[in-house]
Amino acid sequence: MSSTEVRAGRLGRGHGLARAAQVALTMWLVLTLNFLLPRLMPGDPLAELDNPQGLPTPLSPEARERIRSYYGLERPLGEQYRAYLTGLARGDLGWSLSYNAPVARVLAGRLRWTLALVGVATALYLALGVVLGAASAWRRGALLDRALLVGSAVSGSVPAFFLALLLILLLGVRLRWLPLGGAQSVALLGAPWPRRAADIARHMVLPVLALVLTNVGDVAYVARNALAQVLGEGFITVARAKGLPERALLWRHALPNALLPVVSLAALRLGAVVMGAMLVEVAFAYPGMGQAIYQASMARDYPLLQGAFLVTMLTTMGANLLADALYGALDPRLRGGR
Amino acid sequence: MLLALWRACWGDGLARVGLLLLALALCAALLAPWLAPHPSRTMFDPLSPPSAAHPLGTNDLGYDLLSELLAGARTSLTLATAAALSSTLLGTVLGTVAAYHRRLGWALLRVVDVFLSVPRLALMVLVAAFVRPGMGTLLGFFVLFGWPSVARIVYARALAEGQSEYIEATQAVGASGRRIVWRHLLPATVPLAFTRFIAEMQHVIVAEAGLSFMGLGDPTTQSWGMTLSHAMRYPALLISPVWRWWALPPGLAITLVCLALTLLQLGLDRLTDPRLAAMNR
Repeated sequence: MSSTEVRAGRLGRGHGLARAAQVALTMWLVLTLNFLLPRLMPGDPLAELDNPQGLPTPLSPEARERIRSYYGLERPLGEQYRAYLTGLARGDLGWSLSYNAPVARVLAGRLRWTLALVGVATALYLALGVVLGAASAWRRGALLDRALLVGSAVSGSVPAFFLALLLILLLGVRLRWLPLGGAQSVALLGAPWPRRAADIARHMVLPVLALVLTNVGDVAYVARNALAQVLGEGFITVARAKGLPERALLWRHALPNALLPVVSLAALRLGAVVMGAMLVEVAFAYPGMGQAIYQASMARDYPLLQGAFLVTMLTTMGANLLADALYGALDPRLRGGR
Repeated sequence: MLLALWRACWGDGLARVGLLLLALALCAALLAPWLAPHPSRTMFDPLSPPSAAHPLGTNDLGYDLLSELLAGARTSLTLATAAALSSTLLGTVLGTVAAYHRRLGWALLRVVDVFLSVPRLALMVLVAAFVRPGMGTLLGFFVLFGWPSVARIVYARALAEGQSEYIEATQAVGASGRRIVWRHLLPATVPLAFTRFIAEMQHVIVAEAGLSFMGLGDPTTQSWGMTLSHAMRYPALLISPVWRWWALPPGLAITLVCLALTLLQLGLDRLTDPRLAAMNR
């Protein structure tokens, strides 16, 4: 992602209320698309239910009836739509074919794994990116700066799930340092919490590493350019003339002013990071939303797929709105809706 | 203008490396039918290690992997170029027109905003799960979701250009709106549009690989993403050396082409953003 894009992304953000209204409109469109897609498909979306070969697991007649009544295809479209929306408002996401359980219950256990993965990875790649970018901007043109530039280009070019495979092969299979996949060891489920926490953390290292390595380059690049620009401004020269130590100059005066583009970039990237996390989850068999979507699509479990999609989408858009609010709070020029 | 673009790419050391890498990939794609050791999709002994007859071995179906890789270059680069070119052209024209015609522009920008606030890859996953797209549908998807980001960035640039004094002067001597859009605003947006074109290509290559990996591509296409995801689904991949000639080459091919495009972008960034060039001097 280039610095021009980051700036253009910022241009595109209006002030709070208009932005919230726009996100609400988008969410409604997404919900409606989610409703229409299975119904626009040629034929009966539930035709698979009656086909004994269509599903990997046979369904009981009651489960089949439950799915039929959830979709309610024999009713008029408007009524189906109303039922869909009221169902969503009550947290009813439908019935999963492959799990034979409510979609909401299947997904409830999974969202936290994805949130943990994306949260930890985001915090780490932002922090690391800013530090690397600062080091790079401070020694502009030096060997470190050039190496980081090439490194950041490579970092943004490796597909996350390919890097995941390489990490599994190197750190998991070859060196046997870390587990190959999953989120925790079954053997430790009943263990006291410090051991379980350590186990969960160990399982998280590789997926987080894959996400951090593929995202840190962009942040470092944007942070470097923002910082280099700030360092060239008048107030830095004044601060230097006052005799402030260089270290204070960089961390106290220049860096806070260079963080805005980084926040903006983080918001812009969020969708890509979530998508990267989905692929990484599949590569590591990590039990999050991405793996749910993958399994659902393999098993043609459309209700589960749609539920997982909706939860992912709404969470991402909500987080994006939050990042926007943070941006507004950080930039004094945007305060007061000017 | 084109000359300036070329100079920006060739003049910058890193961008030059990118250009050469890209040229290599393009040659491989163009000459694929002649370079490939075997006709596409012929079956040999499955899972044979690299040999003189099969420099990259064969996969579990007995396809020669070097031939697959070359055919994949063709598919992946064609799809990426076609999708990126279409969305860039569409986005550039719409963005420029939006900057000139205020009312039309307002409406267009609201549409753009809606598109941009949807995480587009997630949406593609949902649609792909229902539609199971072939190459044509995939191309349509990428254009549908690609043009808004081009339009947004081109709009901002054209708007700034439209406020400059020479446009006012052109209007004063009686140039038509159409002439101003096509002769002045549009050309001014070319470097930025080109940067977006490269970013879109990169996005398409990675997204196609990602969709394939999620099991949502067309299993019969020969693309890098499909070869890679097919390899990654092979149960014994981790415990046998086959990953070295099955998964590694397409993965590296994707990485290298994306790297080439990123390096080009770094060079272009300095052209479109003179402040960057000044900082690095």
